[in-house]
This record gives sequence, C-alpha cells and structure tokens, in this order.
Amino acid sequence: MTSVEEAEPSGFQRVVLTNASPYQYLKIRLVLEDERSRLSDVELKSFIIAGLKSLHGEVGAALNFDVLKYDEESLTALLRVYSRGLVKLWSSLTLQGFYQNQACAFRVLQVSRFTGISSLEEPLIYLLFHVTQKKRISHFPHYCHPLP
Amino acid sequence: MCADLSRTPRTLLVCDRSSFLDHKNRVSSQVEQLHFIYKVSVLLPECNSASSSLDSVFNSFTSFYLIRKLPIYELLDKDFLQSAVYQGSVHGLSFRTRIDEDNCVALMPNGRLTLSLDKDSFELLGFEGKPSRFNHRSCSRFEVSVDLTDSSMAPGGRGYLRLLTGLKSHLQLQTDFLLSHHPGGGASLQALLSRYDWSEHKPKVSRRCLSNLVCPAPRSCDPHSLLEWLGAVDADVRCENSSSSFLSSFVCPEANTTLGHALSVSVSGLLLPHDVQRLIQELRCYLQQPQLESWVSLTVHGFTDSLVSWGGSEHGALIGGQDFYSLLMFHDHTYRLYLSTATCHTCPP
Amino acid sequence: MVRVKSRYLLCEVNVSNRSDLLLLDDRAVAAAVKAAVARMHGDYGAALCSIRFSVKYLNAHTGIVFLRFPKRCYKLLWSALPFITSIESRRLTIPCFLNCLHVGGTIRTCQKFLVRYNTKQLHRMLPKCKTEEEKQQVRQAILSCCLPGGNKEELEDDLESEEDEEDEEE
Repeated sequence: MTSVEEAEPSGFQRVVLTNASPYQYLKIRLVLEDERSRLSDVELKSFIIAGLKSLHGEVGAALNFDVLKYDEESLTALLRVYSRGLVKLWSSLTLQGFYQNQACAFRVLQVSRFTGISSLEEPLIYLLFHVTQKKRISHFPHYCHPLP
Repeated sequence: MCADLSRTPRTLLVCDRSSFLDHKNRVSSQVEQLHFIYKVSVLLPECNSASSSLDSVFNSFTSFYLIRKLPIYELLDKDFLQSAVYQGSVHGLSFRTRIDEDNCVALMPNGRLTLSLDKDSFELLGFEGKPSRFNHRSCSRFEVSVDLTDSSMAPGGRGYLRLLTGLKSHLQLQTDFLLSHHPGGGASLQALLSRYDWSEHKPKVSRRCLSNLVCPAPRSCDPHSLLEWLGAVDADVRCENSSSSFLSSFVCPEANTTLGHALSVSVSGLLLPHDVQRLIQELRCYLQQPQLESWVSLTVHGFTDSLVSWGGSEHGALIGGQDFYSLLMFHDHTYRLYLSTATCHTCPP
Repeated sequence: MVRVKSRYLLCEVNVSNRSDLLLLDDRAVAAAVKAAVARMHGDYGAALCSIRFSVKYLNAHTGIVFLRFPKRCYKLLWSALPFITSIESRRLTIPCFLNCLHVGGTIRTCQKFLVRYNTKQLHRMLPKCKTEEEKQQVRQAILSCCLPGGNKEELEDDLESEEDEEDEEE
C-alpha cells in the first residue's frame, strides 16, 4: 500500500491510494436444477463454506467472508471477502456443482472493489426489455493460472 | 500451476479534498471526463422528501434512445455527422455487448469513434488499430480509434472511405446502440433514428426513504470504509452493527450518529455528464438551506462494459471493478471527491 | 535448458518409542504427508502434492526423512506438515510428529547440513557420557564424520551458492 500526498496552501489536497482496498465484493447467483427449491441465507453461507472446505481444505474453510445481502427469491447474494481471499472464494464457487444431490452452479455476476456493485446494468435491462434472465459466463480471473 | 492465491488485481483510489470556492477546483472538468454514466445515486441525510427544485432536476435528465440492430457504418453517415457529431456532443454506446467477448463500439462527445474488436473482426475491417492493452498471453483484441472531426475523416476523405467500406462491406457490424445528444436531444438524431427500429427512454428515477440509519462521520472516516458504507446504503444492505453475526460482520465504520431519516435517490439510464453538473449545482443550493446534517453524497457509476474509461483511455472489464466517483459535499462549500478506476494503468484525472 | 526446481525438506520424525521408527517406510510417510495436505488445503493442496512430491530418503534408524516438493508451492505444502500427528504403517498407527530441520535446494546441501547437524549432536552428547568407554566411542564417531569429498572452504562456497538460490526464489 502506498499513498502519494500533495498538499497545497490553497487547500487542494490529493491522496492516491493504491492497493489499499481491503475488501472485494462479489455478486453471485445460485442456479439450481430444480428452480422451485429455495435455501435460506444461513444455508447458502454453509453451502459456500462446504465448497471452500472441499477445494481448499480447513485453511479455506477458515476464510472470512460476509453475506451482505441475500434475496431468497432470485437466489442472488452479495458477498464481501478480504482481497487476499478472493481467488480462493471465487474458485470454490466455480467448482461447486451439487447442492443436496441436485446439479447447481454459481454465476458470478460481478466482482468489484466497492459495494457500489449493485449498480450492475441489470435494472436497465429490465427497464428496457423485461428480460428475465441475464447470463454471464463467470470469468475465472486469468491471474489465477498463469502457464508454468 | 500454483500461483500465489492471495494475489489480487491492482486497485487505485484517488481522494481529492478541496472547496468549490477554490479557483483551482477541477470538479467540473473531472465530471466531464467520465463519458458513459449508467447510474447516479444521491444520499440526502435528514431529509424526508426532496425539494421541488431538486426533484425537477432528477426528473429532467435528458432522455436517451435505443436503436436495435444499428449497422455501425450509419454513424459515419454524412447527414448524421453534420447534424449531430459536429454540432454538439453525442454519447453513443453499444448495448448488451460484453467488453471481453463481443465487438463493442463507443462514440464519444468529442467526436471520437472507438471500436474494440476481436482478432477476426479486426482483420476483416482492415483499418488501422492497435492491440488492446488488456490482451492476455496472445493478441486477441484490438482497438480502433478514429477522430471523426479530423480532416482526414471528413466525408469523402481517404480514411473516411476506407473505414466506411470496411464497415459496410467487409465487417458488417450490427449492434443495439444507446444514443443521446446534447444539446439537441432527439431532434438532431431524428434522421438516423427514423431509419431503424428505435425507442425513447426516460432515465428511471427511484427514491427510497431510509429511517434510523447509523452513519459515520463523513469528514474523519477512512475513504475505503466510507465508500463501503455509502455503497451499502445504496445497495440496501442491512447493517445491524453486530460483528458477531454468522452471516455478515459488516459494521458501520466509526458509527457516531443515527439519522432519523434519509433519502436515497438514484437515476439510471444513459446519462449525460452535463446533467450531473446541473445536479451538483442544485445540490449545492440545497446545502445552503439551514438544516441538521450539512452534507450530501453523490455517486456516479460508469457502464461496466463501456470500452472507454476516464477521459478516453481504454477500459477492460476482466480485471474487476468499474469506474465510479463519489462526491461528498459539505455545507461550507468544501468537498471530497473519491475517484476510482477499474483499469490497471490509468489514473483518473 | 531450465532446471526444474525443487525444494528438499530435511525432517526428523519424532516418536516416543524409538523402536517404532523401524516400522516406517517411504510409502507410509508419503501417505501421511498427502493426507495432511489434503485435509488442510483440500483438493487444491492434494493436486499440488501429486506433482513431483516424493519421499527421497528415509533412515529408519535415525528417523531422518528427505521430502521433495516443487519449489513454487513448497511453502503451502510445508504448512501442512505440523498437522501430522501419526503415521500409519504396516497396519499400526505410530504417533509421531515431523520436525523440519532444514530446507535446501539440492539433496547435496541437505546432506551436508545433516552431517554438520549430527556432528553437533555428538558434541552435545560428549559431556553427558558416563563411562570412559562411551566417551571413546563418541570421540571416534566425531572423528570419523567428515564431509563427503570436501574441505571447509568448499563448504562455504556451497553455502553461498545455496543462498543465491534462495534469493532467486523471492
């Protein structure tokens, strides 16, 4: 973390913070095979923790993350995770394939450094087309697996 | 094979602190730099309903047009250039195209047309361009940027004809396109609109009244926590201030006051920087009224899949985040401006 | 040509009953390490552990083990070693723990370290000897250990070269 500060007598001050943001935010949607099934926020969090545990073991299961917001109807959640845990969390979400013996998938809708994440253009699409579902391939961040 | 799992993309946040009365303040020029605004949200503490003048500003955001399946060469149309591009500022952005997988097009108010193309399309087009900075490993994306107001791009000129034939006969690029014009509005775009399937849209205004909001001290709070809190209010995240909850340990940073009421207003659509300027002026007037809490915050989000970031620099969506700025205005004309960028290289102005 | 780099961990298996050491074999130690890594780091760790991980050497009398890990992820794998509490060998569970003595870039440096380490241990044993005969034996042992094919100068060179290698990794 570095910061550059320029202070001038006139009162103009500029501070540049690089790599200082402590958290990353993910907007995710759980897609279940049986669209009628619902799960509560607590169940969702335990499900994600189970995924972390299977991919990254006990060290992964100990990763701190928060479910900031969860909508049971659309199975959409807003997660907050420490920046250094982002790759672990994201990769475990990607590899989560079954929820109680039914196929499922997490769609990572957006990843951001700020909670302003809710400004996904989704509402605009609703506004214009009433599209019911927006699909986005969850891009696994490329910096996770550079070629050896 | 086993890269460091705790590595994260580079982040950048610029915090400016100054006063509107200071002749050196650059707020208006900074506001102009973010061209494609998707959403503006305003938080008014201790406010039940916005005053009529403020409300009228919210409702008078310029409407924008959506054209379905617009062939991009139409943007080079001579009449369109003369009636719209040369006459004022056009904001145009391809809609429902993904910056990382589709061909994207943007027309900036300064008359610059930018195309972000994949390799095949770029080779088909046969026009000068440069590799995108967001290529990873192989060169798979290219950026073509032309200034339509330049003399070489005048209708009939060599560059103009080359690009026109490229777009017309080689690469028949068609996308849904969002368009708005300042100051002419729809009238100056009418010729283009009439030829295609189009619709007019008013930016959507939504208001939310919040009560019993735990609020940090805006002047002393750390920028990241403050932005997080503002975002959480905007996203309607419950904040019970108990860090022991299983679900979430999110707490209000340095909570010091509880606001009885607050009003959160957001406007979304393809918005013009000019309208944001008007809103800032109106908010400054609003702040001059005697009241309890003497600050307001204004957050402006850019399109995630926009292909230009601050100014005219290239924007890539893959590396996370989006462009936005947050302006915190106080009673005594001072302000804090937090600018952020998604890209790894550019610093906001 | 680029050399495929590895890290060799020189570990000591500590057991309460020394005769248990004789029951150990390579496969048992490898299985215990793999299980611990899989528990601590999940599938990801288990996958890392399946590439170029091996037990290079096991001395069942002294309980010395050389583990080879790929250089890029040895820290992650190393972090799982303290969680080994027992090794299952020949249908017996041997309670033990691994104590890492040295991390080296080559087997040779690890071996040199081991010889020096053992010499130091012998020196420590010397004052504790009770009978003259024991003392004589220990002295004999100290005299007999010398670094394979080298004098002191060469040893220092090796140390330097190894330090270079360590720097390079950062």
